[in-house]
Amino acid sequence: MKLIRKVKVKNSLGLHTRPAAAIVKLLQPRKSAVFFTYRNETINARSIMSILMLAAKKNAQIVVTIDGDDAEATMEYLVNAFDQQFGEK
Amino acid sequence: MYLVQHFYEAHARYLGLELVAGKSGLSRRINKAEVHRPGLSLTGYLKGFVGARILVFGKQEIEYLRELESKIRAERLKAVLTPSTPAVIIARGFRPPKELIVLCDKNKIPLFRATSTATNLLSRITFLLLEEFCPSVTLHGTLVEMFGVGVLIQGESSVGKSEAALGLIERGHRLISDDVVRVKKKEGSYLAGSGPELTRHLMEIRGIGIINVAHLYGAVCVRPDKGIDIVVKLEEWDDQHFYDRVGLDEKFIDILGISVPYHVLPVKPGRDVVLLLETIALNHRLKDMGYNSAKEFNAKLLETIARRQKKKVIHETHP
Repeated sequence: MKLIRKVKVKNSLGLHTRPAAAIVKLLQPRKSAVFFTYRNETINARSIMSILMLAAKKNAQIVVTIDGDDAEATMEYLVNAFDQQFGEK
Repeated sequence: MYLVQHFYEAHARYLGLELVAGKSGLSRRINKAEVHRPGLSLTGYLKGFVGARILVFGKQEIEYLRELESKIRAERLKAVLTPSTPAVIIARGFRPPKELIVLCDKNKIPLFRATSTATNLLSRITFLLLEEFCPSVTLHGTLVEMFGVGVLIQGESSVGKSEAALGLIERGHRLISDDVVRVKKKEGSYLAGSGPELTRHLMEIRGIGIINVAHLYGAVCVRPDKGIDIVVKLEEWDDQHFYDRVGLDEKFIDILGISVPYHVLPVKPGRDVVLLLETIALNHRLKDMGYNSAKEFNAKLLETIARRQKKKVIHETHP
């Protein structure tokens, strides 16, 4: 199953190293392929360096594409993590 | 979207550009990687004239315009300044005609003055624009250079791309980019890969974290960009899969419409990935020089078989 959704970066420092590490950690046990698209660039969300390269600022809109068997659950976890600011609130 | 402003900010020094008029037009878009010397168009002949190109006025254009009456001059200039003209550049630091300054301000078209000659500008700008407009894609993978061969290492996360690259660096090869590679199709014929500015020469190694390779191993082990000559896909060893054992059939992968030699390299404990990658690169060099180990061997084998068959025939006919 393929899901596409927009999420917003809520962390005041943007998508810096710690949130990026949190995303990678969250995705590790998941099976689906996860991609982020930001400013015309699509990257593999399992790679820390790729997420960091985006240098997404606060309030940046990131398009999340998840493709795979556990797409729905993965999307839910991910959106939730973005909302919770990866525990940085 | 490429704006005149981007172009101006990036290349003002290189081209010696100075903004003369039409500042409010800096947000105009450049849609075509083309530059044009209006020449003939200034005489009023506009058949086939393309408006979306950057205009460069050289010595001849300026001299010609000087000879015209003010009213006609304004008319002719008006004709070449279309709503889609991105910018006008005057070569050799000539002073632009008054009418051009007025028209550019009025129509919000940036007007620049450059120090070099029109021919020089034409070639430089064409080159810069082609570079900007060439097709590009961002790929997941690690780009390294071994023995002058650019190898893009791909594969699933955690298959060991970064670790392999680290091993290669230690052996004296060079890292271009880890994890994210921006690939550009240059001059429509070859692929060049580079790392994004921000994460250039950084690597993420599981269990260690983020390291800066250029600082750890020195400037000799990195380079900013490199052509992509081969793609190697690292894969977990799968007993069910039949891996290439002879190398007679070459596989290719398509990147931006260019086919690049492609190898699948299975990884399992005990297989020295670094050494294997070096071997693939060296074998590619050898093939480039015209020697294909697998094909040469096969030819020799066929020859030997044919010779034996011939002998057999001789034996049979003359017992």
